[in-house]
Amino acid sequence: MTAQPSVDAALAPARSRDGLWSRTRTLVLQQPILQMLVLAVIVAWLVATVPGIANLRSATALLIIASLLALAAMGQTLVVILGGLDLAIPGYVIFGAFVAANLAGGQGWPVPVAFLVTIAVCGGLGAAIGYLCHRLRVEPLMMTLGMGAVITGGTLFLTHGNYAAAPPDSLRALAGVTSKTFSLPIPPIILIVAAAAVLLWLGLTRTPAGRSLYATGINVRAAKLTRINTTAVWTIVFAASGALAGIAGMFIASFSSGWAQSIGEPYLFSGLAAVLVGGTTFGSIRGSFTRTLLGALILTGLSTIIVSNGLAEAQSRIIYGAIILMVVALYGRERHVRDRF
Amino acid sequence: MNRVLSMFQRWPFAFAMLLCAVLLLINLMVSPSFVSPGRIGTTLATLAPFVLVGFASTPAILAGGIDISVGPLATLINCVFVAVLIPAGLGNWPLAIPLLLAIAMAVGAINGILVAVVRLHPVVATTGVLFLLIGASLTIAKNPVIAPDNWTRPLAGSIGLVPGAVITLGAAALVWFLLKRTVFVSNLRATGESDSSAYGSGVNVTAIRVLGYTLGGLFAGIAGIALSALLQASGSSLATTYALLGLAAAVLGGTSLGGGRGGLLGTFFGALAIYLLQQLLTSAGVQPNLIEFTYGLLLIVGVVLGATLLSPRISRRTA
Repeated sequence: MTAQPSVDAALAPARSRDGLWSRTRTLVLQQPILQMLVLAVIVAWLVATVPGIANLRSATALLIIASLLALAAMGQTLVVILGGLDLAIPGYVIFGAFVAANLAGGQGWPVPVAFLVTIAVCGGLGAAIGYLCHRLRVEPLMMTLGMGAVITGGTLFLTHGNYAAAPPDSLRALAGVTSKTFSLPIPPIILIVAAAAVLLWLGLTRTPAGRSLYATGINVRAAKLTRINTTAVWTIVFAASGALAGIAGMFIASFSSGWAQSIGEPYLFSGLAAVLVGGTTFGSIRGSFTRTLLGALILTGLSTIIVSNGLAEAQSRIIYGAIILMVVALYGRERHVRDRF
Repeated sequence: MNRVLSMFQRWPFAFAMLLCAVLLLINLMVSPSFVSPGRIGTTLATLAPFVLVGFASTPAILAGGIDISVGPLATLINCVFVAVLIPAGLGNWPLAIPLLLAIAMAVGAINGILVAVVRLHPVVATTGVLFLLIGASLTIAKNPVIAPDNWTRPLAGSIGLVPGAVITLGAAALVWFLLKRTVFVSNLRATGESDSSAYGSGVNVTAIRVLGYTLGGLFAGIAGIALSALLQASGSSLATTYALLGLAAAVLGGTSLGGGRGGLLGTFFGALAIYLLQQLLTSAGVQPNLIEFTYGLLLIVGVVLGATLLSPRISRRTA
């Protein structure tokens, strides 16, 4: 699993030929136009076939689910841009849910303290992973897998089998379907994720820090030679992944008013699916959180269609898999060996 | 001290082997009964699917890729056997074994084609296939289906004096042993070490990769049979657990994720070490959650040790 930058072999010749098709292809590869089209089709399909979906309540519920998925996949997006993979996401989500439900809800900790504890613990452990992986030059895959098991095991041990607690009302007001932001009928969580998306977009495209992230993802050695502190990039990105997944866990527990042992696992694989469907590939310049947001919306809409057609979870997994393979076959093809000498 | 270190560096599996020896000793002190003649068959049968899933993830890693989908493939084979073949009357072993192994190898080959021909990133390709396989297993058997009495039962106990698991593990080991006599395994390692160098020396990199993933599929198929023998039911819920455990076994056994370094023997010791650790903690009455905690810690320590003390070349990243 070397982090080869997945440059499209077809991209360079496409520029020299000026045909309509090649220009369209370049545009589709560089902007998430295809994802927007697919999303539009899915929304149209939902409105046309599912009766009663076009009211505020169910639209809000769908948006909340998509926001939670996007929030859980936010850190993963950054890690994937860096050319790695964070398998510790379920652990972070479980820890966040534990803090929200058992500590803030059960023990009555103040909500800001709960947020700080989640950010400190998940961010700290993530930072340790990022630092170790970069200094020792090991694949983050195994380290994050081990760290995920450590956090999950440790958190569940601390829980002592107590899953009865629910997050406090102030947290649930942030993620409930009927909650309002300053008397607007939109739950705060949607606005929080939207604001985060804008901030992240600005950060990635308009700041030196964002440039360093892309440069490190494409070629660590080249980035280091341009005097980017690649150790810091790795440490910060993995710390961000941990902290964001932890916060997502708190909101997930608040949305479903409680939690269970298996709350984290779906967010690893669906989150990764959202990243990939959005068109972010390993060590790629085209990766961004905007794409993940589109991916999360597409997947949420799709699973609603699947459920409303009476199909089960099993079929939705199959469709997820097929979509990942199709989208990445379109975007993320690597170069042939003979072109890599 | 230097001599010990260089021994570790020459044989990447030495660390896992040492760990196994220590854990086995402690295990024997805590509960001597688990290797008694009466229980050795069951002990090995619990170990077999786990080791085989580890085997299944090894060829792909050796070829410089990774296969996340082998665990779900093993559970799919298990579900196909218990919930499709047996009810359809195809459950006899002369029919079922070739069918199951053919399905498993076909899925492996699809992985290989996605990685080597379509040229997707190995993690992405096998994650997509992982979704497909989990979906297929859930479609076939959402709830556990209990298998009637069938030919796999002795594989989890013993056939005569031979523990049944020796047969499933032995079959996989024999395939690997025979392949090691051919040029295939060295080409596989060469491809993993540096695919452009291998390509430059005339190795058909694409074919080797596809065959590597197909071999992984074959091992996953055997793992599915061993799993059916152990469970005597369909266990579609085990898919993700096995997916990551197999990878952990391979890496703990000294197989380098960079490709080119390691082998099945190391994976065997890696899987054995994880199994013995679980066994030890369970018999010592430790909570399951703390077992997961310890297992994660072992994985981190193993990876860090492998990257620092035990690695001959520290700078191995080819970026």
